[in-house]
Amino acid sequence: MGEAIVITSGKGGVGKTTTTANLGTALALQGKKVCLLDTDIGLRNLDVVLGLENRIIYDLVDVIEGRCKIHQALVKDKRFEDKLYLLPAAQTTDKNAVNPEQMKELVSELKRDYDYVLIDCPAGIEQGYKNAIAGADKAIVVTTPEISAVRDADRIIGLLEQEESIAPPKLIINRIRQHLMNKGEALDINEITTHLSIDLLGIIADDENVITSSNKGEPVVMDPSNRAALGYRNIARRILGESVPLMSMDNPKKGVMSKIKSLFAK
Amino acid sequence: MTKKQLISIKGTKEGLVLRLDDQCSYAELLEELTKKVSDEGFEGQAEVLLHLGYRYCNDEQAKEIINCVQQTEHLRVTKIQSEVMTVEECNKRLLENQSETYVGIIRSGQVVTAVGDLVVIGDVNPNGRVVAGGNVFVLGRLKGIAHAGANGKRDAVIAASWLEATHLIIDNVVETMTDELSVLSEHPEMECAYLHTNGFIAIDRLQELRLIRPNLSTFKGGS
Repeated sequence: MGEAIVITSGKGGVGKTTTTANLGTALALQGKKVCLLDTDIGLRNLDVVLGLENRIIYDLVDVIEGRCKIHQALVKDKRFEDKLYLLPAAQTTDKNAVNPEQMKELVSELKRDYDYVLIDCPAGIEQGYKNAIAGADKAIVVTTPEISAVRDADRIIGLLEQEESIAPPKLIINRIRQHLMNKGEALDINEITTHLSIDLLGIIADDENVITSSNKGEPVVMDPSNRAALGYRNIARRILGESVPLMSMDNPKKGVMSKIKSLFAK
Repeated sequence: MTKKQLISIKGTKEGLVLRLDDQCSYAELLEELTKKVSDEGFEGQAEVLLHLGYRYCNDEQAKEIINCVQQTEHLRVTKIQSEVMTVEECNKRLLENQSETYVGIIRSGQVVTAVGDLVVIGDVNPNGRVVAGGNVFVLGRLKGIAHAGANGKRDAVIAASWLEATHLIIDNVVETMTDELSVLSEHPEMECAYLHTNGFIAIDRLQELRLIRPNLSTFKGGS
């Protein structure tokens, strides 16, 4: 019996889908059997980010309305043997095509076959959100160091805390630009965690490669030398129960000489 | 056998005290009162205090009695006193004087309401709202909206370990935390807000609260 984790944020564009794709891939790389579930009916993206768009035959709504079996709709990611699957959202209908009861049933069925079911939640707190959290055991809230994203995260955490079947949500701070934090122009990690007062699951550096690799349909986490990828891999390890220290956000491109200099500067 | 006097009138410094019998029937009392008021030759203007004893009057009856007394323009009822109240009223009073405690963070979009005082152990985040019929006390950072004295209790106060609310409301007076106020509160630690006599909400250090609202302290005795 696996566990279902919903990835949500309230605000749009903070990186829910990217996080879902990368965490799923990272967990699959760790040898876990993972199913990604896109619940953003009408505005699906997860398939594109994973590069599986042209392999979709059936979708979530087909499964729920009984037009096909679950295994027919699941799209296998061939790069990861038998580890990573995607259940895509429908694109031709809207969020009201599904209700939370049906989602609960679907997720509990998926949990039987997979170690992790990652649910990509749509933005907002309406029907789509209610569907997405219906079957979840755990929740991850994604935010960025912007006031608006943190406010929405606060709201969503409040709503998640009222759900008795979901464990206390954990936080991922995405798109961290260290130079802005150092200058005090962006909220820093401490400020965000004390404000939201929930456990921090991990931090992800802002990196151009996240965008370029998403465009190519290859989650960035597959490149082990990338900073953002390291962040996602660390989070995956924490989900698996390892204790991994938070990575340093300082620029890794510093040369040896400047490191020595900074030692003496103290 | 002489009939017992149902109504006794006494003059005091503050005005007339009408003590109404609480054993006779209501109709009897009203009749007697009408007679007494019209018979007695009142002169000038007198303020009247009605003492009902152990008789319970609902609002309508009380109004009727007042009207009865004020038939003559010489009398004006200023106060009605009674030794009894209904269980409902008593429970309501109890609730109003009770203090409710909320433990946890009040996040954006959440509203926590109390009939009496409200004690929050935790933060009130921006766009979170606390509403109390009485006072609001926050053991944490108050960064959202706080409404004290929601049912018209104008002497209610809002106190917080860290007062940086976006809106403060006492009774129906709203104060948005403008720059002027936040200058005052550069270190918004241990502060309280209250309704100043000028009709606006004022913010002061928590230490001053003892002087501003001496009745807030209910502690009696001690050494």
